[in-house]
Amino acid sequence: MYDKTVRRRRAVLALLVVLSLILLTAYFGESSDGGLHSVQRGFLTVVSPIQEGANKALKPVRDLFGWFGDTLHAKSQLAEVRKQKDKLLKEVIAERADQHGYHELLALDHLDQLSLNNYRPVTATVVFKSPNLWYSTVVIDKGTSSGVQKNDPVVNEEGLVGKVAQAVPDGAVVDLITDSEVGVSARINGTNATGVLQPKVGEPNNLVLQYLPGGTAANRGENVVTSGTVESPDDSLYPPGIPIGQVTSEDEETGFKSVNVHPLADLHNLNVVQVLTYTQNSKPAQLTSLQGSLPSAGQSSAAGGEGNQLTSASTGLGG
Amino acid sequence: MTLSGALLTRIAVLVVVVVFFQIGVVSEVPVFGVAIDLSPLVVAFVGLLCGSTIGAATGFAVGLLVDLALVQTLGLTSLVFTLVGYWCGRLRELRDPQAAVTPLLVGAGATAAALVGYSLMEFMLGVDAPVSLELLRQIVLGVLVNTIVAVPMWILVRRCLIGSLPHDPRRRRRRAYTTGGLSPLSKA
Repeated sequence: MYDKTVRRRRAVLALLVVLSLILLTAYFGESSDGGLHSVQRGFLTVVSPIQEGANKALKPVRDLFGWFGDTLHAKSQLAEVRKQKDKLLKEVIAERADQHGYHELLALDHLDQLSLNNYRPVTATVVFKSPNLWYSTVVIDKGTSSGVQKNDPVVNEEGLVGKVAQAVPDGAVVDLITDSEVGVSARINGTNATGVLQPKVGEPNNLVLQYLPGGTAANRGENVVTSGTVESPDDSLYPPGIPIGQVTSEDEETGFKSVNVHPLADLHNLNVVQVLTYTQNSKPAQLTSLQGSLPSAGQSSAAGGEGNQLTSASTGLGG
Repeated sequence: MTLSGALLTRIAVLVVVVVFFQIGVVSEVPVFGVAIDLSPLVVAFVGLLCGSTIGAATGFAVGLLVDLALVQTLGLTSLVFTLVGYWCGRLRELRDPQAAVTPLLVGAGATAAALVGYSLMEFMLGVDAPVSLELLRQIVLGVLVNTIVAVPMWILVRRCLIGSLPHDPRRRRRRAYTTGGLSPLSKA
């Protein structure tokens, strides 16, 4: 009797472990259109509306929990924010005059076709969030039925949040900018030097802007914004000028400069985001189509040799 | 322990509610900069109450649900949680711990095992991240915050399942000592 129990217990364990390993292997082996990925998308399609309802019902509970943390956090930041406000007010007054002339010039030269005005923002609520340190993804309640497509940029009121990784009719998975899969072409505001912004290895909550030219000036506190270019044909074409983060420190490497960047968006407390979608014949759609027809990074590398990353970063689809 | 229909239903409802409450609400409320993760706790406590077989099966189901809902690598969380559930079940079968701090220790141990196991699996699968101080800090803080919520979670899981468990070791032991003849002290 005892032997039978032991055998059964071990058999169940072995079965479950083997089943997990089969799932793991099959998932890695298949493409993103494969069976298991389809099952995941199907599950997301079924669960999204339910979770959206539950999310709305449980919002007061979440807000109550969040209130304590937010209050403490806000109090600690109050003095610093007041200083920043005074500084920014002066800057805004000085820059408003320049801005008017700048937009007139852009329109004259037809260089404003990738501005945010050409996108159709879709407001979405975050319904799922991974508690896991290894996944920087969230699930939102808007999908292809609202015009959301793969690679659409996602922003919130603070700045760039990430891009759409997968979309189903009533939901979409968003890879945050701190996800190791995401790379954003970015520049330090006020300079033309473009680099690639990626999560800092070992510190998933911080970013590093790499491959900047050696002499680029990067002072602590300066804003980093999207450059409007892409690093590879698989990347999202983020509109130029979306704030991403602030420079915290810099590292000089051989030939290039890297700067450490702290994201502006509070990625731990995402609640409402906007997906920047576009219509079929808009300028972003045309550029995305052009981007898709470009050779992939691997092909460019084979053809062009070293320095592919930099070259593709600076080929620049944006104006 | 045999798996009755009532127990299966209760575990299924508990698992679904906890996983969706976790990913919909709890994940959005960081404590000390990390999110509380109720999933390893529910797996560990089901294992501690129901034994290794049911613990392992619950771990597999919870892991699968988490991976499906969060569009993560399928099978990874299942593998880690299956082992966590199994080990917690074996702890009950071999030691049957009754101390008041058992939920705290099991909760902390299960969370640590889940976090470290998951990290090891990610390293083996080729994620580009070294073992950094930040990673260790996140793991330690994750274990700490989960330990804080381990006792209420234990009470919740126990309350949900207690009516369907074939026998409760704690009750059995108390009854045994009050009969007079079965206490080991009486032999002295």
